[in-house]
Amino acid sequence: MNRYFLYLVLLNMLINVIIFVPKILIEYRYEGAVMGVLIAIPLGFSLNVVFSKMISKFPEKGFPEIFSIAGKKRWFIILPFGIISLITFSSGLISLLGFVDILRRFVNPEMPYVYLLSIFLTGVLLIIQLPTDRVMYLLEIVLFLNTPLITFIIFKAFTSEFLVWDSILEVGTYLFAKPSLKAIAAASYAFSGYTNLIIFNRIIKGKLKMWNFLVILVLGLINLFTTFFIPIGFHGSDGAQEYLYPWISTADSLRLVYSPIERVIFLFLIFYMGITLMSVSVHWHVAFELIKGTYKESRKKNWAVLVIFTCCTIICAIFLNTILLNKITVHWMIVRLGLEIMIVGLFFIWARRKTA
Amino acid sequence: MKTNGGWKIYSLFLMIAFLVGGCGFKDIDKRLFAVSIGVDLAKDSSKKYLVSLKFAIPSASKEQPNDFYIVSQEADSMSEAVRILKTKVDKEIDFSHAKVIIISEEVAKSRGNAGMYYWFNRRRDIQAITWVAVGKPNAKDILKVKPKSEQVPSNSLFLALGKDGSETPYVIPTYLFDFKYRLIERGIDPILPIIEAKKDYFEINTAGLFNESKMIIHLAPEETKILNFLKSKEEKSSIKVERGKTVIVIDSQMVKAKYKIHTPKGSPPYIKVNVSVKGKLEEASRRVANSQLYQYEKAAEKTLNQEFKNVLKKMQRAGVDPMGFGLRYRSRHFNHDDWEEWKKIYPNITFKVHTKVQITDTGLIE
Repeated sequence: MNRYFLYLVLLNMLINVIIFVPKILIEYRYEGAVMGVLIAIPLGFSLNVVFSKMISKFPEKGFPEIFSIAGKKRWFIILPFGIISLITFSSGLISLLGFVDILRRFVNPEMPYVYLLSIFLTGVLLIIQLPTDRVMYLLEIVLFLNTPLITFIIFKAFTSEFLVWDSILEVGTYLFAKPSLKAIAAASYAFSGYTNLIIFNRIIKGKLKMWNFLVILVLGLINLFTTFFIPIGFHGSDGAQEYLYPWISTADSLRLVYSPIERVIFLFLIFYMGITLMSVSVHWHVAFELIKGTYKESRKKNWAVLVIFTCCTIICAIFLNTILLNKITVHWMIVRLGLEIMIVGLFFIWARRKTA
Repeated sequence: MKTNGGWKIYSLFLMIAFLVGGCGFKDIDKRLFAVSIGVDLAKDSSKKYLVSLKFAIPSASKEQPNDFYIVSQEADSMSEAVRILKTKVDKEIDFSHAKVIIISEEVAKSRGNAGMYYWFNRRRDIQAITWVAVGKPNAKDILKVKPKSEQVPSNSLFLALGKDGSETPYVIPTYLFDFKYRLIERGIDPILPIIEAKKDYFEINTAGLFNESKMIIHLAPEETKILNFLKSKEEKSSIKVERGKTVIVIDSQMVKAKYKIHTPKGSPPYIKVNVSVKGKLEEASRRVANSQLYQYEKAAEKTLNQEFKNVLKKMQRAGVDPMGFGLRYRSRHFNHDDWEEWKKIYPNITFKVHTKVQITDTGLIE
């Protein structure tokens, strides 16, 4: 079993909560979200398997290394690399803005948004410049510290007496509604952690075995069930969609009577701080390395890229409010899914030709 | 390392960022913590609500740790009230420790309060695990009560509602998120405990039942207990049983209720409720021989059957559904107009209650 691969996929499953996936799914609960999830599972999973299998034919090589042999046509590299890095960058950006918004809302509303953002940004910019293997080690540490505790909170949610299974089943009865594309796109995000292999394949040694995919399938099922249905169980099939952050509100609805902090939401936010930091870092690391792959090693250009990242983030932070961010994310998810299918398809054909 | 210079600049920047973060924060000595919120209908005024906040006064000495004061304001909306209340106090009002919301009986019985209920949910600093209760005769009186055993302001209410302190089957505590859930969900209606203010203690043993956003009926103490049994929320209780001239009291250890909605074709629909009770004999007015226990079990079953049925019918007559029968019906039917169907079914449905009582123990005396 390759644990690094597992971490990358798990990271996306955990960040689901921040990047509006529950919100989108719950919004379409009567309009095809259930069927959408059921479609997204095989879709996301098969994309995951195809891409991972193909890229493992190039052991310990990321996209820049694989395509450096592709030849002299520079546009052939710059165009796809640019598009992919734009998508990974925006993926990180949405989770960063979303989480900073949550933090400001619940922890310190008096603090200016951009200050809070800049603290995160400093950390992220520091991490993305590290070599790929070190980013992975950091990810391992953060996941190691946070995942068990998040699992505990989810366990508490599952065993809570306020979780109404009838509400969950009620949404389940809308199984046969026409699936909605937005729900499919949002739900397939849980499996899309494999896209980070574009760069992180550099440190994955050996072939990926069937075991990996089995674990991912099971985790994905549990994850999608949790993100979608637990808020419905707590806030109702009619009421859950009224919340801006269904999962955060669900965490707020749990009570740990004998813990030092009774309000679970703060524990939840503390755990998610690390997860978000690492998720943004991993995504941006991919974007950064891809852009780096399009030109010759140059410190000035590297700095220029970092400055562009920072400027983009701050501009977005100023212009996007939460409602707008939410709306954009819905469309972003669809674009992401489309591009993902295209990239996996193209890469599949290219790799078949190359290795055959 | 190549990026050595960069590291220094970074850490400097990070430190400054952390320092600046402190600027936006108001210290704890500049905050007033509201521990409970009361909402009444305004009297002799053109405004709608009378909002009262109970502030805990943090004091350095241990002599008077439960000092508090109450500030009230009449307003048409919650946010307006809070805004004006800010002008009446010297410090920033902090709701993060507000753990009880009291709604007066009049407010609960009037329509058009959904906006006020939602205000609590909308506020990020009011916990979703705040308890909501109905106050009798009004909310402000509840806030004023200061039980002798109380160590921190409002703490006795937290203990009573949270079941950390006394555990009784006569209290049905409701969290804010659950209250909102039941307000909005079709097929399940809110229940709120009713708190009555006495001179220096509270009495919580009745419950108010809502239909949509309005309180319709309230349950008597015994009925509240029965509803708690049906919800399988509270198991430790006592059940009084009469058989002939003998009165026995069963101390229940385990109560489990399950229900199923049957809608057979051609015959009227019914709800089958199965309740199983396990308990021990706690008190008897006469000597009860072990061989006779069986008969007492039967008598208890008969009494409980009747009591369950009465409560269920009372709720049905009032058109409230705190048990969530409607939701159960919706969740078991795939058609999308199941809610409209249920609204026709519920007023005429019959209840079949089957109780099973087991007396497992008679205490130290046979």
